[in-house]
Amino acid sequence: MSYTRRDFLKATLGASTMLSFASDAPNFLVRAATAGAARTDDRDTVLVVVQMSGGNDGLNTVVPYADDEYGRNRPTLALKGKDVLKIDSYLGFHPRMEAFSRLYEEGHLSILHGVGYPNSDRSHDGAMRDWHTAEPDDPDCQTGWLGRAADNVWHTNQKDTPTVFVGPIVQPFGLRAEHVIIPSIKSLDDLILDSEPAEFQQDRAVDKNDELLRFVRECRARAGVHSRRIEAVTKATGGADYPAFRLAGTLRTVAQLIRADVGIRVFFTELGGGGIGGFDNHANQLGNHCSLLNHLSESLAAFVDDLKKDKQLDRVLLMTISEFGRTVKENGRRGTGHGVSAPIFLAGGKLKGGRVGSHPSLTDLDNGAMKFHTDFRRVYATVLDRWLGFESRPVLGRQYKPLEILNV
Amino acid sequence: MVGQTEKQPDPRWAWAAYEPDADRPWNLARAGHLYRRAAFGASWEQLQQALSDGPQLTIDKLLQPKAEAAQFDRTYDEYETATGSVDQLRAWWLRRMILTPHPLQEKMTLFWHSHFATNAAKVKNARLMQQHVGLLRSQALGSFRILLESISQDPAVLIWVGAEANRKARPNENLARALMETFTLGPDHCTDDDIRGASRAFTGWFLLRSKLRYISREHDNGEKQILGRKGNFARDDVTRIMLEEPATSRRLVRKLYSWLISETAGPDEALISPLAESFATDYDVLKLVETMLRSNLLFSAAAYRRRIKSPAEFAVGIVRALEGSASTTQLATDLADLGQDLYHPPTVKGWAGGQHWINSTAMVARQNLASALLRGSGPYGNKLNPWAVAQKHGCATPESARRFLLDLFLQGGLDSVAHDALTKTIRQQDEDLEGRTRSLAHAIVTLAEFHLA
Repeated sequence: MSYTRRDFLKATLGASTMLSFASDAPNFLVRAATAGAARTDDRDTVLVVVQMSGGNDGLNTVVPYADDEYGRNRPTLALKGKDVLKIDSYLGFHPRMEAFSRLYEEGHLSILHGVGYPNSDRSHDGAMRDWHTAEPDDPDCQTGWLGRAADNVWHTNQKDTPTVFVGPIVQPFGLRAEHVIIPSIKSLDDLILDSEPAEFQQDRAVDKNDELLRFVRECRARAGVHSRRIEAVTKATGGADYPAFRLAGTLRTVAQLIRADVGIRVFFTELGGGGIGGFDNHANQLGNHCSLLNHLSESLAAFVDDLKKDKQLDRVLLMTISEFGRTVKENGRRGTGHGVSAPIFLAGGKLKGGRVGSHPSLTDLDNGAMKFHTDFRRVYATVLDRWLGFESRPVLGRQYKPLEILNV
Repeated sequence: MVGQTEKQPDPRWAWAAYEPDADRPWNLARAGHLYRRAAFGASWEQLQQALSDGPQLTIDKLLQPKAEAAQFDRTYDEYETATGSVDQLRAWWLRRMILTPHPLQEKMTLFWHSHFATNAAKVKNARLMQQHVGLLRSQALGSFRILLESISQDPAVLIWVGAEANRKARPNENLARALMETFTLGPDHCTDDDIRGASRAFTGWFLLRSKLRYISREHDNGEKQILGRKGNFARDDVTRIMLEEPATSRRLVRKLYSWLISETAGPDEALISPLAESFATDYDVLKLVETMLRSNLLFSAAAYRRRIKSPAEFAVGIVRALEGSASTTQLATDLADLGQDLYHPPTVKGWAGGQHWINSTAMVARQNLASALLRGSGPYGNKLNPWAVAQKHGCATPESARRFLLDLFLQGGLDSVAHDALTKTIRQQDEDLEGRTRSLAHAIVTLAEFHLA
């Protein structure tokens, strides 16, 4: 995998940029030499989280069109069997998710049904906070799960940034760390040096007792190398086409950073605006939800296609999260209320594919909403342990049983 | 932190006052070092004044502010009181750091802000946050006892840790836990039972409409046990007991050691003990800070450039050295992007700092911030002009400006490779002298050495 990637970099960035690599050992070698305590190996896989803010209506995303209860509960919102993009004789994707349907066929998309957690208070702030902290029982928890993961893999010689937020909104709480600083990237310009001062042609001697100076110098040198690589990637042509959606733009930035290979392992992105709104459709849901799902589906597909074209897809796993699903029954305003469980979507090159778990019952409900059968922390544990190689137990406080969803 | 293999010095020598001699002369490097630790760097006049004053008088002046400091604080207190937003509070604080006649007080306020770390995003009340940081400032060089007692009843702190209600039937452990594990003893010196005992002592205190109220029927009058002591304890007993515990003064001295002396080597107990024992007798912060600032240790190789500047120290240091100003609204946002969002420390444990401040991404952001500050146009405007400052202090040629800026920002210690690169920068002919001096200043403040304090 590494060979292919360096090959690609050489082809895209040209020989002059490759020269600058010489002064800087490849990331994976450095990582192998300096691996942190909580890392189980030196893999270079990447996780991309897409937060769907507002509470996505899973029932109109992956539609049980053949279930009589579905039509009965949703007189105006129900999508028709003839319109949905069929997965099987019971389920189909929302009609405007053609791209998801294709990714699913290609094995690059998995659906995890019925994900949630016990005792959600079904408020946006409370539930989103629970998904961010992964500590629903501790309302005063001050760190997010990805923040803790970044803290746990930090080591004293770490010169790269392992985790970033990409997007225009306030950094989501899931990235709140105790020690590590997780940057918010609005555009690639944030990672490119305005001007490169004082080039040093020779190695500069450092007193062997002065580890601190050596560390800062190495970070400085690396900043120059990374900046040049990112600049080269932005100038490279021939990338895939992305639609003009905001999330597509964000994921394009993520793909460029994956290509530049600057050591970022976790990207957090967002669709819906961060606050209330977005997927929170209490009234006249149909049109707004439709355009959001189309936005999501087209953006993700462009990202997957882009990475696949560059043979990068095998090192990338994308996961969607949302604070809750919605009520089965529509309300009197052609909308839905806050629910419990919803599906999680995974996209990438190393998925087992297909559907995971059964679709929750539309009649055995928890206060009007479909029950969950898979705790979201099992999904987190799976991506931490099995995908990133970050030990999940210290992050989640206990060992959750991983799901068999990845081909690794 | 990176481990340094330095021999631990003799404590008596370490904490005795530094007196210049032939081996350790009072020079520009030591004056600059002192100003990086006790302030946010120095201007050229301050460095020259320090050279002529000698270390003792320079430290006297840093410890005891000029008369105008009180008026400065009153003025800024009024500005802040009139402010309705935390964004503006952040900007006012940075303005204080840049302009204050008493920088050590702001440096120590920042220390306490990270120690009693309280985050405005949860408090959601600019007035309470202003009072909170005002409290930290009022005792920044005062009494840790008063500081701790005030913090234990500070509305902002109670909201932040989630201790607005302390009922007899359901004692709230949040305040007791923050107080014992983070603000005083540290997690290794108390048990969950101690925390439960202390939380019962806090019962009866409620925060109602941002005001602290005591409801006596909600106070648990039973006997409590805290750290081996038994009694019908109330709130003030808890802070008293914390201050009686030797772990508290040891922990505070260690923390201040890494703030003022060195982040790299964990000091051994013998070095900490004399200061901790003395601090425990009066909890006089000024005295403790004074001992450290005057010490042989501070002026030894074991302390020289053994800290990484926080983003605020980095940026404010550039502005103060160049005798200018900066849009602090913009600066507050840029510092937040670098991980130091004033009024928003990440957790109750404050900023971890040290090597956590720096990685390749942070270095790009620091270099771009320095570039924006020094460019003479853009969001920071033209408030810093290195060439004008160099001329003001007698430089007439590019070469003299190069030497001047190196002395101003770094006070020596650079190798010939760095010197050659900087000489090339100032000799570039494609820019006018003002532009070249801007490039040179940028080249200097982005050297690894400048990121160290």
